Amino acid sequence: MEARPALSFQRPGAKQLSSMGMSGALSSSLPVLPTPLEETYPKLLDSQQVSMERELVTRPLNHASQLSSNSSVVGHMFSSSSGFSTDLHYSSLSPHEKHSRQSPFISQSSTNAASLPVTHSSGSLQSTASHYAKENSASWQTDSLSSFLDFPVNTPIENSQVESSSCNAALASEEFTKWADQLIADDDALASNWNELLGDTSVTDLEPKMVFPVSKSSPNFQAHQSQVPLQLPATSGEIHAVANPTSLANSAPAKPRMRWTPELHEAFVEAVNLLGGSERATPKGVLKLMKVEGLTIYHVKSHLQKYRTARYRPESSEGSSEKKLTPIEEMSLDLKTGIEITEALRMQMEVQKRLHEQLEIQRNLQLRIEEQGRYLQKMFEKQCKSGVDKLKTSATTLENPSTPSLDTVQESPAKSELDASQVDHGKTGTDPVNANTALEESSQELGGKHKVSEANDPENSEPDACESSSQPSKRPRTDE
Amino acid sequence: MKFGKRLKQQIQETLPGWRDKFLSYKELKKLVRSISSAPTLLNGSFEYGRAEEEFVYLLNNEIEKFNAFFVEQEEDFVIRNKELQQRIQRVIDKWGPNGNHPSETDYKEEMAKIRKDIVDFHGEMVLLVNYSNVNYTGLAKILKKYDKRTGGLLRLPFIQKVLQQPFFTTDLISKLVKQCESTIDAVFPVEDEEKTREAREAIIVAGEGIFRNTVAALQSMQEIRRGSSTYGHFSLPPLNLPDSELIQSVQLNSPIPIV
Repeated sequence: MEARPALSFQRPGAKQLSSMGMSGALSSSLPVLPTPLEETYPKLLDSQQVSMERELVTRPLNHASQLSSNSSVVGHMFSSSSGFSTDLHYSSLSPHEKHSRQSPFISQSSTNAASLPVTHSSGSLQSTASHYAKENSASWQTDSLSSFLDFPVNTPIENSQVESSSCNAALASEEFTKWADQLIADDDALASNWNELLGDTSVTDLEPKMVFPVSKSSPNFQAHQSQVPLQLPATSGEIHAVANPTSLANSAPAKPRMRWTPELHEAFVEAVNLLGGSERATPKGVLKLMKVEGLTIYHVKSHLQKYRTARYRPESSEGSSEKKLTPIEEMSLDLKTGIEITEALRMQMEVQKRLHEQLEIQRNLQLRIEEQGRYLQKMFEKQCKSGVDKLKTSATTLENPSTPSLDTVQESPAKSELDASQVDHGKTGTDPVNANTALEESSQELGGKHKVSEANDPENSEPDACESSSQPSKRPRTDE
Repeated sequence: MKFGKRLKQQIQETLPGWRDKFLSYKELKKLVRSISSAPTLLNGSFEYGRAEEEFVYLLNNEIEKFNAFFVEQEEDFVIRNKELQQRIQRVIDKWGPNGNHPSETDYKEEMAKIRKDIVDFHGEMVLLVNYSNVNYTGLAKILKKYDKRTGGLLRLPFIQKVLQQPFFTTDLISKLVKQCESTIDAVFPVEDEEKTREAREAIIVAGEGIFRNTVAALQSMQEIRRGSSTYGHFSLPPLNLPDSELIQSVQLNSPIPIV
């Protein structure tokens, strides 16, 4: 199913940034591009997307002037690694910003972007940011910093426990090359999109600031990106590259995520042994010997490193470098203690097995629940579409397209149907009753977004299924 | 907030290196709360669109975090799995009854170590599956909250996408877990009823062991799946654990080691 969440067409580059844990200002500082949307989301089911798309087409024109400064923002963002706190700052700002602007998008995004470097300098990310700065062209950093100082900055600093600064430090060294590659490909996508969008010279302002040579071609990756392969059972050491099917699917180089399987690892070990053992084998040699398509030297390199660690320090690798005290410390045993220890281990095993069992069950349940929801949604889609078609021909008073109501109808019927079919939680009976009242509530609140009440009144003459299920997605909480 | 508390507990109980890899549920919840559901400007849907953008963006970041961590751990487990098997084979070949230098004491000693290691290995893998599950649950919950709060329709399509993410496709790890279990059965001596009973009395878990983590995870799961007021058709039924006395009897206290 290709349904995307609303506004999932976002920034092409940001996906890669996010995949490397990069900060997200790119998303805010760049115009949301309708072009990629059209390319990769040919079937727009969601009406919100449709209306957003229309809005966005007009938006880019506002951005022409901002692009040059934004690009430097972008540059700076690339140079900083992201803890989640970065994103938080970004996110916590924007709601505040919402209510006071004239050209809302631009100033907000600039301000948002502006807040980030300030945060960086004050947060623990500073070291990694400066690390990146060294590797990147220095001109970026200074450019962007100076442009930031002009903006009023509102930085609530939330040093939550979420701040994954340690993670960033690790990122810094290992991932930089990968990140750089992605960045290059990102650039490509971005530049090409903007070209189409603006068709003027402002794009050239971007390129020098981006610095990275735009060499990789994005179209390949886009195709790759659209695949959603699950991890397939390995047959003979193939790479099961799972392209990351995030909602920002258009972001060009989804460096497909490498998932090592036991079979692949076997092939690896064989190759290493042929080359004289883990100490003597080189990544390049192993790569050549393995002859696995899609495997890069980076993959092999990091895997080899892990392999070496695991072999030559089996105790610490077992603990995955965690301090791990178990109940059983004493290793010199007489029989009695031995038995007790074994029994303790058995108990541990039981608990673990139990947990695993339950996890599997839970997972299957979750999968089935969602599957069912999806199925029902489709069914209602069909059913209501026929209803809406009739509606379209007759309704002349409707201001909005009737598709918004379709959405609410889609979502809620799935819910109400599941409700009816599954274990009764006491809500089923009350649903139809609450439907209309809740309907009014939500329609007032949501205002122009879902003109549900208007749309649904004429629709009440339509098939029952649609009518009774015309619940807003705000479910009434009747059990509370 | 119940899930949030539970999640926090789990994070505390989990392996130290994993603590920052979990879902930032609290922060996301704050964000959802702060997202205004009533657009105040004329371009109302614009407002809404931006908020949703942000939210989706953050969620994607979280997902990426999960994926990166999960895949890396998975890789580690694949390697360690192989190493363990080889190690067992080496011990059997060397000190086993049919080995090169059969030696009962050495064999027993090494096997004891292996048993401990393999049980912990099993536990770690299960904890990874638990990690995946907890984060998924958190995502599902936060999406539900979002839809509820903003009247959006983000949940259904988004969760479909989540279902396909590497961090949620735990098939390989589960397979390794099962393999591990059969290896363990092979490596453990046959159970002696009476001695088993004696040894099991009042075993108290100490320290920060894997055992403690798994017990905590199991208890947590039980709690989360207790019936709730916001029970819906997308909710999981209450957890039904057979032999739940086993879990109760294992008390998570600190000081007293096994004697």
